[in-house]
Amino acid sequence: MLRLRKMMIVLLIACFGIALLSACSTKGSGGENAGAGGASQGTSAEPNKGDGKKVEIRYWRHDFAPEVQALQKMIQSFEAANPNITVKMEVIPYGDYETKIRTALAAGNAPDVIGLDGPTLAAYAHQGAVIPLDAYFEADGNKEDIAAPVLASLTYKDQIYAAPLNDASIGMFYNKKLFEKNDIELPSKDPNQAWTWEQVLQAAQKINDPANKVYGIDPGWGLGEGEGSTFVKLPFIWQAGGEILSPDGNEVKGYLDSPESKRALSFFSSLYNEYKVAPKEIPPEAFETGKLGIVVNGPWAISGFATSHPDFKLGEDWDIAPLWKDAKQVTPNGSWNMAITKDSKQPDAAWKFVNWVTGIEGAKFWYQETKNLPARLSTASAIPELTEYPMNIFVEQSSKFAHPRPVTPAYPVITTAISKLFADLGVSGRNVDEAVAEAVTAIDKALEKYR
Amino acid sequence: MKMNSAFGKQEERAAWLFVLPAAISLALFTFYPMLNALTISFKEYSLINPEAVFVGLANYSGLLSDPKFINSLLHSFHFALVVIPVQTALALGLALLIYRSSWVTGLFRTIYFMPVVIAIGVASTLFKLIYNQDYGLLNSLLGFFGAGPVSFLSDPNLALYGIMLLGVWKSAGFFMIIFVAGLNGIPNDLYEAAEVDGATRAQKFVKITLPLLRRTLTFVIIITTMDALKIFVPVALVTGGGPADSTTTAVYYIYKIAFQQMEMGYGTAAAFILFVIVMCISIVQLRLLRTDVEY
Repeated sequence: MLRLRKMMIVLLIACFGIALLSACSTKGSGGENAGAGGASQGTSAEPNKGDGKKVEIRYWRHDFAPEVQALQKMIQSFEAANPNITVKMEVIPYGDYETKIRTALAAGNAPDVIGLDGPTLAAYAHQGAVIPLDAYFEADGNKEDIAAPVLASLTYKDQIYAAPLNDASIGMFYNKKLFEKNDIELPSKDPNQAWTWEQVLQAAQKINDPANKVYGIDPGWGLGEGEGSTFVKLPFIWQAGGEILSPDGNEVKGYLDSPESKRALSFFSSLYNEYKVAPKEIPPEAFETGKLGIVVNGPWAISGFATSHPDFKLGEDWDIAPLWKDAKQVTPNGSWNMAITKDSKQPDAAWKFVNWVTGIEGAKFWYQETKNLPARLSTASAIPELTEYPMNIFVEQSSKFAHPRPVTPAYPVITTAISKLFADLGVSGRNVDEAVAEAVTAIDKALEKYR
Repeated sequence: MKMNSAFGKQEERAAWLFVLPAAISLALFTFYPMLNALTISFKEYSLINPEAVFVGLANYSGLLSDPKFINSLLHSFHFALVVIPVQTALALGLALLIYRSSWVTGLFRTIYFMPVVIAIGVASTLFKLIYNQDYGLLNSLLGFFGAGPVSFLSDPNLALYGIMLLGVWKSAGFFMIIFVAGLNGIPNDLYEAAEVDGATRAQKFVKITLPLLRRTLTFVIIITTMDALKIFVPVALVTGGGPADSTTTAVYYIYKIAFQQMEMGYGTAAAFILFVIVMCISIVQLRLLRTDVEY
């Protein structure tokens, strides 16, 4: 009896132990790709596969349906052209994307190729998380074909760390029906004839009708956080003649708190608090459903609206004008890129894939599929519709008025501080001087480490 | 009872063996990561670069003078100070309504318990829709009664209360069940004796129910305090810490520092400060709520 019980106990413990061990071992070999992981496969799996040097490139990017579909097609053609390389793409929801990449990098099991948003590049490069691509660009990357402001945004300490998928720019999207209903003169479609802040404000005031849930303007994608939100808000500061950082990227004092910058911030705040033409809370899809007169958005939204709201037609219900100006006409630039991580065991094969997607031919295909603003000059000249409305607005803006975001490893802090600053002014109606001083202190503290 | 025979030794060994799996997994998945985190908190440690520099107490001293961290702590305490009494009173009230069993109370128990079963992610997403200023259910209802729109998502003075409402709605049912168990544990003859002595309902509640419920109450309050100070998911999903950081609680701030700004060392130090605070509060609560009343 006693013996039996003892045996049972031993058995039980053995079971527990096995369960525990197996739990550990999956953890040890690295996440969901344990078995098929590219990094480990390069060395250990060779004998198993019949045809010698077959390698797998792992590629992570954020989710955006049209782009993912385009990439699936490009991966197919790439694999057909390079039978010894397979590409495993994983698509991650936008909100989780950066966190997932960063934890993977921390754990040392990042994929070979990652999608990298322009402004985070310096932080990744500074920490050596992604590798410089200069040698590859010299060999077969056609570097001279990439637009200069784009290349500048990908260069950290004189080295290029990513290959651009496309560029980005934003314009003023307006609801034509609401403009006509309120007898407002339509803005020009000529990229050199942008509206001034005052003209935009006047139009927004005429349209604004909160009682009927129709609002004048959403000047910068709401007041939430996220890089997209910062991207569309920064131009206000540049347009007024202000800057975020000094040209060398080391100082924030005297730039973000300059009178010009503060004027821009006061104007932004007045849209929410003084004139109340911008809603503090925007209903979902407000523009597409005719509840909002003016928004900022980029070329990607043209195909986006066409699929999500086919009845909301460009040219009939809405149109695009160049982004507004103040003392200067300035538009933001920079977008998503592809970079190779330090964890990649086969950077040459990874570059082959990156160059397939972002090279001269790839860039043309990418434009045809996604209609994103091209980063390569050859694409812009090869495709006629890029010189016609509406794409010509974005193309001309990005060649004449583009301003890159600050390239500094402190950018993750800057983007949070800036979106907090705009939210402080918009939603809480805080005093401009106080709110700016707080943002400057936060950014200054972050810059200190890299001086 | 004293164990001195071979049998006793064997039993003892068996006991250790039984403890072993739990001890190993605790050590491996709780204490080892905690120790590691403690060392990280003394380093300047970037999330994407494991080569860290030892900086001593710099992270801790930086945090104590960081207004954003202090503010996030204040938001957490504000949240806890409102949620603990309201949620506990509500849970106790609900429990008093339904603790005697009949088919009606069974029905209501299920209804009150329902929010606990709903995944917090789902509940948060739903509340975000409900709170929408223009099209949300809440403001449609308020509008029906002629009350003005409440902007739980965009008014910095209100947003935290929106999160509190969600938190209380979600958890009250769970603590209600704990209270029901506590209430059913109180012997009925005490009430009968009190009735014989002519005690009113209120007297019975204050003199019998509350003192004998003290153990349950201690448990509920301590768990609620810990949960409240660690609130994260609804903040991340409903408001994202906004508007203008008004709902950035301590844990959400830590998440932002560690994963968005990649300052793992600084974030970990903040987590340890929060850990120490929560532990101290729990110890104080345990002392204060200690009871000698038994039944």
